[in-house]
Amino acid sequence: MQATLPTRRQGIGKMALREERAFWLFISPWLIGFLAFTGGPILASLGISFTEYSILSPPRFLGLENYRQLVEDDLFYKSVINTVYFVGVGVPLGLLLAFMMAIALNQKLRGQTWFRTIFYLPSVVSGIAVALLWGWLLNSDYGLINYMLSLVGIQGPQWLFSTTWVMPALILMSLWGVGGSMVVFLAGLQGIPEHLYEAAEIDGAGQWAKFWNVTIPMMSPVIFFNLVVTIIGAFQIFDQVYIMTNGRGGPANASLVYVLYLYRNGFEYFKMGYASALASVLFLIILGITIFQFAVARRWVYYEGGEPK
Amino acid sequence: MQQRSLSRRHFLQISAAVAGTAALAACAPAAPGASTEGAAPAAGKTELRVAHAWDASFWPRQEEFDQQFNEKFPELNVIGENTPWGEFRNKYMTQAAAGALPDIMYCQFAWAQQFIQQGSLINLQAYVDNQADFNLEDFTKPSLVSYKKDGDLHIIPYDEGPLLLYWNVDMFDAAGVPHPTPDWTMDNLLEAAIALTKGEGQDKVFGFDGLPGPDGSMNANYLYPWGAKFWNEPEENECHLDTPEAIAALEWWVAFRHEHGVTPTPAEWGTLGGGWNGFAAQKVAMFQQGTWYTPVLVKDATFKWDLWHWPKGPVAQTTSSMGSGYGTTKDSKSPDAAWTYINDYLSTDGQIFMWASTGRGSPSRISAWDAYFESPNAPPSARVVLEALNTYAVHDVLDTVNGPEITQVAAQTWDLVLLGEMPVAEAVKKITEDLQPVLAKNNPA
Repeated sequence: MQATLPTRRQGIGKMALREERAFWLFISPWLIGFLAFTGGPILASLGISFTEYSILSPPRFLGLENYRQLVEDDLFYKSVINTVYFVGVGVPLGLLLAFMMAIALNQKLRGQTWFRTIFYLPSVVSGIAVALLWGWLLNSDYGLINYMLSLVGIQGPQWLFSTTWVMPALILMSLWGVGGSMVVFLAGLQGIPEHLYEAAEIDGAGQWAKFWNVTIPMMSPVIFFNLVVTIIGAFQIFDQVYIMTNGRGGPANASLVYVLYLYRNGFEYFKMGYASALASVLFLIILGITIFQFAVARRWVYYEGGEPK
Repeated sequence: MQQRSLSRRHFLQISAAVAGTAALAACAPAAPGASTEGAAPAAGKTELRVAHAWDASFWPRQEEFDQQFNEKFPELNVIGENTPWGEFRNKYMTQAAAGALPDIMYCQFAWAQQFIQQGSLINLQAYVDNQADFNLEDFTKPSLVSYKKDGDLHIIPYDEGPLLLYWNVDMFDAAGVPHPTPDWTMDNLLEAAIALTKGEGQDKVFGFDGLPGPDGSMNANYLYPWGAKFWNEPEENECHLDTPEAIAALEWWVAFRHEHGVTPTPAEWGTLGGGWNGFAAQKVAMFQQGTWYTPVLVKDATFKWDLWHWPKGPVAQTTSSMGSGYGTTKDSKSPDAAWTYINDYLSTDGQIFMWASTGRGSPSRISAWDAYFESPNAPPSARVVLEALNTYAVHDVLDTVNGPEITQVAAQTWDLVLLGEMPVAEAVKKITEDLQPVLAKNNPA
């Protein structure tokens, strides 16, 4: 006689089935939207990257020609270097600042809620508005930043019109939007059980030891999350650079970031095939970095319940 | 009864099907007569979608024209759609890809060939030839240059104007600088710019704004006057910037900023918001532009101003002329009706109504110019515009398909010259090298 084991479906009760249906129902708008408006275009872009396509005439298959041209394109490397500079300097600075602000706002202070709102607010302002605002803040003649520098006897640079200072200017501007990361850090800090600090105190730990041995390990999943998300976002910087440099990535391509170069090829030169090849390569760069981050994360990210599933 | 659960696989299949249907629906051409303006279709009438790129202040004039047209041709119903100029090309490129172009669309000289060469605009030559009262001879010669393919017109121009010198009369008088004369030379321009420059820092007033950039105006306005050139016309497949004449001319221009300090630095230019705004704010005494800027000045300027000839160079007097037009698209279901609109819109009366009487200026038809001269919105020296167009203006303005790329590639090095970080001679050598592969695309196949 053969034993009949209950299947997974038979094991699901009515309540669970209703929950599952509700789950799919609620997630469907996003899923349908993703498949129609993101997944489809991603696949189309991949296909177009193997063609010559100017929008106005039908695509002509080129094989790997766009990718071969890309390897020989100096501006491709220039845009990669500028973007890596932005990511390499801007992301660590931004995360550090966000973490420090979160720690400060996690203290029991008067007006704490007010401060949290104030620091978070810039991160929900439209990128275009931020770019216009910073265009004025960084103005070499009338800008607030150069005015403040002049108060301490420093003649400010020409920021957006200097090949040396345009990238630092963009990084400075990006720090203005760290409120989003700050809120995530703040939530993480508030989730650290108080008893861990009490236990550390009993063991004789001081402020620094508690921070290093309790806060940092317990916050490591949050730091990791913010790191992954911020790096992905930073690689795709576009709108602020476009607005602040009048769409040119100047002066002399000193601020030509990757997506701006992609946009230039796609929507100024109408080389959609080449622009799509750039998009595919950017996808691979971000994918590679993210996989690397996950691989390395096992060494420094602490999960209370063990490895993440 | 067995409970049926929606499996993940099944759900994803349904989602993909819904998404695919939505995507296919989105890719389908728009229904004929679809309008962004939301006008209801008129029963029994042929609808025409016409795409314009007017600034908001000019749009009411367009609506007025269309209303009159609809009354004049009751069997037609024109539905205009207006898009900001900066967004126009991308929007209609996308519509071209989707097979959803309007019946008639605006086109600027710089990207006209992009649409023409790739078949988005139909050949209008037969319509021109068969329209007895059209009279192509009435069009100024430079106005027709950018709009042909194999000798046939694909776009009918509505304007074509030279780049001329705007000058602030009050500033000239206050500084005791003699007014420009018909014999004005480039040296006179520099002398006046030096005399008109005054103040420091935020209070500085610049004598002139308009240094050369590697764009459509570089040849005729900045190099031809010295007997030099950037690119060759009409092929646009060679760079001549590294010749001694070109280097001498560009060094003369760059000295405006680096030696004489009479023109804004890039940072100062950014603060002023460009030549137009600087001139309107009386921070710049002279700048270079076409007549299409005059209605703004007529409306807003609180000072006396005028237009004048572009000065003579050591070798020649030349300036760029440029313009725009309208064409019938490949997606038009009613090309004959579209021609009826274009013919009426760009007739002498149409041009007088739209461009001459409003002071916007530079109509493409010679017969519309008298109305421009009489317009209260035209500058005092409006006749100078036609004189320039008829004598020394040339339409040598980078109008091949890869014009934008030529400008961008050269600009990356030219920026360094304007910043004072690279000498002209070194920069033009690099630009010439960088441009070879881009210009080579214009070689005959």
